[in-house]
Amino acid sequence: MIQIKDLHFAYPRQQALFNSLTADLRAGSITGLLGKNGAGKTSLLKLLTGLLHPVSGELSVMNHAPRKREVSFLNDVFMVPEEFYFPAISILDYLKAYTPFYPRFDLELLDRILVEFELGKERNLQRLSHGQKKKFLIAFALATRCRLLVLDEPTNGLDIPSKALFRKIIAGYLEEDQLVIISTHQVKDVENLIDKIIILDNGEIIFQHTIEEISQKVCFVSETSNDMKGVIYSEAIPGGFRLMMPNGHAETEVDIELLFNAITHGHKIG
Amino acid sequence: MDIKSDKAMQTTNSFSIHRLLLMFKQSLIINKKRFAIAISAFSGILFITLVWAQASVNFSNWGEHAYVSTFVSVFLSLGISYAAFSFPAFRSKEKSMTYLTLPASTSEKFVFELLSRIVAFIILMPILFWVIANLEGVLVHYYYPELINYQFSYGKSLTSFTKDVDVKQVIFLIIQMVLFGFIAPFTGGSHFSKSPLFKTLLTFSIIVVSYFLFSLFLVKAFDLLQGLSAGNKGMHFRGNREIAIIMFKIGFTLTNLSLLAIAWFSLKEKEA
Repeated sequence: MIQIKDLHFAYPRQQALFNSLTADLRAGSITGLLGKNGAGKTSLLKLLTGLLHPVSGELSVMNHAPRKREVSFLNDVFMVPEEFYFPAISILDYLKAYTPFYPRFDLELLDRILVEFELGKERNLQRLSHGQKKKFLIAFALATRCRLLVLDEPTNGLDIPSKALFRKIIAGYLEEDQLVIISTHQVKDVENLIDKIIILDNGEIIFQHTIEEISQKVCFVSETSNDMKGVIYSEAIPGGFRLMMPNGHAETEVDIELLFNAITHGHKIG
Repeated sequence: MDIKSDKAMQTTNSFSIHRLLLMFKQSLIINKKRFAIAISAFSGILFITLVWAQASVNFSNWGEHAYVSTFVSVFLSLGISYAAFSFPAFRSKEKSMTYLTLPASTSEKFVFELLSRIVAFIILMPILFWVIANLEGVLVHYYYPELINYQFSYGKSLTSFTKDVDVKQVIFLIIQMVLFGFIAPFTGGSHFSKSPLFKTLLTFSIIVVSYFLFSLFLVKAFDLLQGLSAGNKGMHFRGNREIAIIMFKIGFTLTNLSLLAIAWFSLKEKEA
């Protein structure tokens, strides 16, 4: 679905953000895009949606060059940015204004999600809290049935119950031909949701594996000591250590935060 | 609500009338209150301005010339300001992202903006002016019978204003000049995110002053006015009047087309 090859990108009068970026993403997954501040996560999402233009290299999204912003591309891509704007109209009016542009828009799905998010259609968008606005935008994004959904820090501003609801809704309403890319700092919010992890560092993709592959290669355990044979990476926690070790036995749940820290400290999972 | 897709909408990436109409519908839904407030405010301000202008000449000296002068002032100042805020989504990053990812082609977005910012204004503003001017005239005449010329008509006013001018010669030139007055700020709006009117005026001022200084330099350096009498050493066109008008017509037309092309490319290459 997404092919990136030797992508080069730089903001004007700044040094290159991406040098020779290469990646391949397929439909039917929820991919977590992780990276430190300034690693280029949002820039990569903008490149994928045609909001930024690469300097050189190949970038193909659903067989389109995003920079052309062709209609057949735009009505199959939806981005939920971290900061967004809504006009001062009701949800109902917003739907009348925007849904006709999305050929696969599913009003029934939207209704179901709005009920779960406890949002009434007659409410004015400007009078909603930031979290409520974000919930509406996520609901709208899912209801577009776009094949590529790009969510930039989707859980920022959501309260604790809404974060759980967000995970449930994303996991529950996706179709096989869709790809969701979630960029986030809040790795705990997307645990048990994402099935692939991409880690960006210094303008490069330094890690790209499915959760299944990670589970097969390493395990995550808590021990009182980190002085054990084969420990790949460890971090102190209250009462002991959290360890990432080669998987010799049963699969454990992937500790994304520990994995992220291990990878960005230069460790490999084998 | 009709959520079914239009086949043409799905297949064409270049231009679809259906999507253009959807953009107008979207704009009306989002801006209907703003439009109503703007039209009401404009009508009120115009009404007060006309009463004030007529009162300042004791009502009796008001005539067609005064109507035309008021119309031209209002039409140009308002039109230039309105055109300068074309592509309003570009004023903020958040709005830009929504606008640029809206599933409509660059051509549709461009034509929508051109129609709503310039063409609609050129058509609707004179109608609104005519309604307000006549309404105001009738009301003021009721209270101040000394206001005799209170019926405003474009035909009468233009005849009165242009009776000494060969209209056929200059009408196209005037249209192109007025269009330039609107297209230049329109292009500025497509290019500049913040303070588009100010930046457009500054840019054009720099271009005009540079051009003038360069021309002056050429005239002085190569002594191009050599052989002309002292009275002819001004900024006079060296040829007959018809050729001068044709040259200006071509110049303004080409400038307008170039500015529209720049606006289109600004939109096409815009990033957020």
